[in-house]
Amino acid sequence: MRVALLTEGGYPYAHGQSAAWCDRLLRGLAGHEFEVCALSRGRQQAAGPRLAPPPNLVRLRTAPLWGPPPALRGRGGGRAGRGGRCTGRLGRRIAECFGELAGSLCGGRAQADRFATGLYGLAELAARHGGAGLSGWLRGEQAVRVLEAACRAPGAPRVVHAARVPDLLAVADRLERALRPLSLDDWYGWGRDGEGDGDDDRDGGDGLARAALCHAVGGGLAALPGLLARRFFGTPLLVTEYGVGLREHYLRHLAPVPGEPEAAPHGGEYEGAHALAPTVAGAPVRALLAAFQVRLAREAYARAALITPGNAQARSWQERCGAERARLRTVYPGMDAGPYRAVAEQGRDAGPRMVWVGRIEPARDLTGLLLAHRTVRNAEPTARLLIVGTGRPDARYLARCRALAARLFPEGVAVTFTEVGTDEAPTLADAYAAGSVAVLSSVVEGFPVPLVEAMFCARATVSTDVGAVCEVIGGTGLVVPPRDPRALAGACLALLRDPARRARLGAAARARALELFTVERNVAAFGGIYLELCLERGPSPAERSADEGVPFARPAEARLRPGPPAPSTPSWARPAGAEPIAGRPEAERPEAQRPEAVRPGSERPGPPATAEAMSAPPETPAPPDVPETTGAPVPPAAVGAAGRRERP
Amino acid sequence: MRSSADPVRALLRRHRLLCQRAVDPLEIAAALEADGLTDRAAARFRHRDVFSLAEELYARAPRVEFESEAELGGRGRAEPGWARVPQLLPPLLPGALCAVAVAAWEPGAGALRGTVAAACAALAVATAGLVLALGRLSTRRAAALGGAGLAACAPVGFALWGEALLGAMLPGADADAGTEAGGGAEPDAVVALGLALAVAPAAWCGRWFAARARRRLAASRGLREFAAGARRLLAAALARYAAGLAAALLLARLLAPTGSVTLAATAALGLLLFAAALLAAHGRTRAAATGLAAAGAAEFLTLATASAAWLPGCAALGRPVTALAGEHGPAAVPLLACGLAALGLLGHAARVLARASAHGPEQPDQRDRPDQPPRPGAGSAHRPGAL
Repeated sequence: MRVALLTEGGYPYAHGQSAAWCDRLLRGLAGHEFEVCALSRGRQQAAGPRLAPPPNLVRLRTAPLWGPPPALRGRGGGRAGRGGRCTGRLGRRIAECFGELAGSLCGGRAQADRFATGLYGLAELAARHGGAGLSGWLRGEQAVRVLEAACRAPGAPRVVHAARVPDLLAVADRLERALRPLSLDDWYGWGRDGEGDGDDDRDGGDGLARAALCHAVGGGLAALPGLLARRFFGTPLLVTEYGVGLREHYLRHLAPVPGEPEAAPHGGEYEGAHALAPTVAGAPVRALLAAFQVRLAREAYARAALITPGNAQARSWQERCGAERARLRTVYPGMDAGPYRAVAEQGRDAGPRMVWVGRIEPARDLTGLLLAHRTVRNAEPTARLLIVGTGRPDARYLARCRALAARLFPEGVAVTFTEVGTDEAPTLADAYAAGSVAVLSSVVEGFPVPLVEAMFCARATVSTDVGAVCEVIGGTGLVVPPRDPRALAGACLALLRDPARRARLGAAARARALELFTVERNVAAFGGIYLELCLERGPSPAERSADEGVPFARPAEARLRPGPPAPSTPSWARPAGAEPIAGRPEAERPEAQRPEAVRPGSERPGPPATAEAMSAPPETPAPPDVPETTGAPVPPAAVGAAGRRERP
Repeated sequence: MRSSADPVRALLRRHRLLCQRAVDPLEIAAALEADGLTDRAAARFRHRDVFSLAEELYARAPRVEFESEAELGGRGRAEPGWARVPQLLPPLLPGALCAVAVAAWEPGAGALRGTVAAACAALAVATAGLVLALGRLSTRRAAALGGAGLAACAPVGFALWGEALLGAMLPGADADAGTEAGGGAEPDAVVALGLALAVAPAAWCGRWFAARARRRLAASRGLREFAAGARRLLAAALARYAAGLAAALLLARLLAPTGSVTLAATAALGLLLFAAALLAAHGRTRAAATGLAAAGAAEFLTLATASAAWLPGCAALGRPVTALAGEHGPAAVPLLACGLAALGLLGHAARVLARASAHGPEQPDQRDRPDQPPRPGAGSAHRPGAL
């Protein structure tokens, strides 16, 4: 079946959000055809490197959220196209719809219906009359006028009422960019006579009209094409969020604090990275843009068939924005457990040594860790601490920590600072192997990657209660309050003095991590969700007429592409010298083994061998403290980032 | 932790600026979470989660005046006067070059003087184009501007050569005089010098208008208010330019006595070019090119009809031109064509340049500026949301 993967500043671009995860998803679900619709966030990203497309990626479409609108390209491009090109009736109708949209941004709460009316109204006009008209209108003066009228309307909040002309211009400009997905005619494959009216006619064109499912990576602008596809073609929408787009929007636009150098603490990370640019904006601009993001997120959550947050924090944001609990299903990020297997299976205890792994920056509270270690050393003089930096350290903070360590431990051997790749820790796995207790001392944390790595290595862990730590660790490690060196020291001492408990906790942690946080689990979970959503939707009208009167003639698995067959001969029965089948190139695989039944058009319902693996039931019993679980793969390097909020 | 009766107050004090400036409780919630506050920590403040804590903070924080915040970004300090002097000089170049060319030119003089004159004239044209077009624009829009520049060649060319040519072509004119005027190809020095000198006031007034309009934009509260102000500004800019143009033409007239109709025609052309430059500088290159091309087309149409009137049986074609030119001299043709085109373009400018979107804070060349170079660490794996 064809899945449309919708990304914003993500997948095909190597330096994008969730890019590695998307790549693994596409490669892992080889039985599905993927169509990727990507919005790029800047010239640098669009011109930058892209990930190699997997064979099941059938179409890749990109559109910029920067520069001149793609719909106006080749029409003089620049501002020549500005200013009421579509006057008359079309212009009036666009103005009406945009007025609804703007009114919903300026109104108080309970404006969701107005927002939806305006949004879908604009989309319908773009579908019927072509996206260029809408794009040109949005860049014109008329849009600014409508926006002004909405801001000055009675009942608008004071902050919006105070908007000046530059604010209006800035908001109109950002809204034009944000609404670009509406005018990308070729993405949707509108039928010859304009939009389909909500029926199931998926065979009428190509583009999103042919997709069986839209999978939006992020609940913001990425979900916009999915919303339209749902509205006009009835395509179910799946929203996956590891870091909540809305929250990131707020952090990007945090009000400037005068006199504080880190006024925009996240600016460094995000600059030039978003359609709604991170310029320091006045309160009216921030209010209007935030209102747009909130309304869009609410609409996406309300219309999505299923929402998969990556952790409890994302989930709480989604619930806050109106996502129904019944349609929320946490799918944890997954990581590759392979590199850590050897360490876990050796099971050697490194003695009274603690290890800390992560990027060295203030949010990790290394000073607290060093203070705690001083207390530990006082009680247990042989205890040692290994601090392994990953990524680029915050040089000033590192120097401060080194100085503090030198002051606290004049003897010198108690603390070692190192980096991954040096002799002391050639790989991450070796770093964990060097300690018997892994410590996480962060005060701010999203999804704690080092913690999961330590769990894969079967290390007992002591961590602070921040971010998603509690839900990750479950009952398999010690958790202490953040910013409390004494509590941290106490927990570390308890584990250092009790090797048996260490081993027990470590084994439990590894079992839990393998259960919840592996790549395979994450991919399998999405495979299952795809089939489930596909089943819920039922067959298209064309298929329904073909299978008339035959119940279950077309199971969801029948939509999968024929994948590589499972080896049908056991290894001991194979002729000597034959390679294992998995290692052979695609072309050499025996054609006869491909199950015929998986062809989409065929009548026989036999599920292919691969479908079994893909529909692996996600409802394996999970530990009691986490209700629904599955996992999402994350590059070991990139996971950390999932929802991390850092304030340097 | 439960010692204080009002634990939220301490939190409010700690995040005072954040809470004052927040536009939405969710903004406070995001910032609190980014600061490491979890739902479990929110319980200490007797709240179920971070969101309800943020709502209380949002409700309790005193709101700042939003007006004062508009000044926060602040416009840059005005440059001191002397710093602007280098910017004021380049527009004088075309006039100076043209004066050199006129001085060097002497029919029948040596090849060297001819070459110098030709080179100076070419340079004058080039600098005039650069000064007018690139005052505020980047090379990104060079293609669009090139169209307008080409369109400008027609009326300017007619002003330099057309008058003599038309005079020779008019039915009834002396045939020998025609070949002499047409073949001599000697441009009208007064017109050339006047136009070249007028480049300076055009560039200065254009910049003045753009700067004032941007300043007014930043200060205005409504679109209608801005439109009224922008129209007044446009009128002021036009008046300043008209004064400058008159001065330039009078200066050029010192060179040689020239008919008042010719001067008026040159003034009309100057106005047309100014209107076109203004429009082009604010992204309306197509309108500018259309106005210029219309004037040029009208002028060459008169040339065509005048020459067609020589054909047997087509004398009627030349009658309107003859009537016009006979009454006021051949310069009446460019006066009429350029004057009407200038009026049209100025009317269009009054409508278009009064729109706020023509003066947006981001000019088209800045809108799609390349992203800033990656900051240290920005490309590393540990980016928020780089999952």
